Amino acid sequence: MPAVSVEHLSKSYGENLAVRDVSFEVQKGEVFALLGPNGAGKTTCVEILEGFRKRSSGQVETLGVDPADLSTQRWLRSRIGVVLQELAIEPYYSVRQVLTRNAGYYPNPRPVDEVIELTGLAEKADDRVKRLSGGQQRRLDVGLGIIGNPELMFLDEPTTGLDPSGRRETWELIKRLSAEGTTVLLTTHYMDEVEALADRVAVLFGQEIVASGTPASIGGRDVGAVTIRFRLPEGVSADDLPVPATTADDGQAEIRTEEEVRVLHELTGWALAGGHPLSGLSVLRVSLEDVYLGLTKESSAEAAADWSARP
Amino acid sequence: MTTAAADTPIKGSFRGLSDLGLVARQVGYEQLSFWLNPIGAALTIGFSVVFIIIFLSTSRHSTVNFLAHINLGQYYLPAFASYGVMAACFNIMSINLVNRREMGLLKRLRLSPVPEWVVLAAIFVNAMIIAAIQIVLVLLVGWLGYGVTGPHEAGLFVLVVLVGMFSFTAVGVGVSTLVPNADSAAPILSLVFFILIALSGLYFPVKAGSGLATFTDIFPIRHLILASVDTFNNVPGTSPWNDILVMLVWGAAGVWVSLRRWDWSPKRG
Repeated sequence: MPAVSVEHLSKSYGENLAVRDVSFEVQKGEVFALLGPNGAGKTTCVEILEGFRKRSSGQVETLGVDPADLSTQRWLRSRIGVVLQELAIEPYYSVRQVLTRNAGYYPNPRPVDEVIELTGLAEKADDRVKRLSGGQQRRLDVGLGIIGNPELMFLDEPTTGLDPSGRRETWELIKRLSAEGTTVLLTTHYMDEVEALADRVAVLFGQEIVASGTPASIGGRDVGAVTIRFRLPEGVSADDLPVPATTADDGQAEIRTEEEVRVLHELTGWALAGGHPLSGLSVLRVSLEDVYLGLTKESSAEAAADWSARP
Repeated sequence: MTTAAADTPIKGSFRGLSDLGLVARQVGYEQLSFWLNPIGAALTIGFSVVFIIIFLSTSRHSTVNFLAHINLGQYYLPAFASYGVMAACFNIMSINLVNRREMGLLKRLRLSPVPEWVVLAAIFVNAMIIAAIQIVLVLLVGWLGYGVTGPHEAGLFVLVVLVGMFSFTAVGVGVSTLVPNADSAAPILSLVFFILIALSGLYFPVKAGSGLATFTDIFPIRHLILASVDTFNNVPGTSPWNDILVMLVWGAAGVWVSLRRWDWSPKRG
């Protein structure tokens, strides 16, 4: 049984469609990312899965139960952890007080000291929340998400607003939770976050999923064209090369190909035979960001075409 | 991770006595939060105490002719006791509720296993405790410092206070759902509140049948003040039951609005 199962989920607010025909599954122990721009419907999806919002149509199961079913909602909430997109912590409590209070809500919480240690807030344990930096408050927020010892964590843009070191620390925490077997569903608009954390990713754009897969293969990333670049040897032009190449703005030769093994073989054979150095030789596969931008551009164009084709 | 034994979903959201313990625990944290902001707490509690001292000091020899000639101090003491109820259960509670909603604190609580009713019950009980502290302090000042006596109908006085707590909390929760954002919560709610308590007779008794009384009779504030004064002094020819009824109607209206408009999410209006 998957930890999360979503089939043909749609949600409207009046006439505004927030999510359209979304389907995906999250397996137990997996880190699954919903990637998309602001307003794509990521938070709406997550809030439906948490049981915070009701869906308009479709089938949804979180840990085997319908999150909208009031009779099992308390049970479900004792087994999930939530980190909201925006910080929400009472300012006057100390770190320890707010964690102790929330630990009391759960049947099987983590020890408060363990969470303080995990979040790197040991030195701030008795400080009031309002005295913490933004990054420290964010870590405490994550601490509140894990205090109930959840089987499934929802992290809604957990590193937004954090400095680079704060982001890395949060990533390490998420990796540690994942290694312990916690299933993680996170939303983000950071590509590097997806690459660092996610086992699988779905791109949500225009209220629907436009692609899904592993970060390494999404959008045909693993089988698509690569770009081979190097500095042209002295006295050699792009036309002299054994394979078709262009000259980039910085003067480097650039070859785009889907047959990188054959092209590299021909190129390096030619260089060795003629004694040509291929300085700065690199093979670049298309980045996740390129794939994401391509997918969202395609979807925008399709949506515009659909709109203009309306009677 | 949760244990395998907990794999079967447990239906139902009421856990009996343990939930009552959860209410008590949550009230403890509500109180802790209140006292951890000592300036806010001092202003809340101190306002009614400072004002009752000022009003009792300047009214020792005056009487209210249209209320069986009772001493003005006998009027102010229960009136300011009722102010404690109104301030704690309506003004402070509703502003606090809007702020918490807009900060996302209510949403976070909603996503925890704590039942909604536990959260709301704790907020209500916390408001009752703050109101009770103000009432006790005001009464102590009046009894010990100024020789005011009462309540002469203690049971009815307590009933009036309890109905007032229910009514003003319900109205406060209802009104909080109408306030669109945290920035406007304190100005809107405090302005309306302080104008209405002034017009309703907190600072000066308002004669029944006057235009001002007719206007303020619409709202529950004057009814709580009058019912408190009546039961505190056992004023001849008066009865608190009509006032209690009006407060209950307002309380029911507050519950109705709350049920229809309550939202755990920030409105960000």
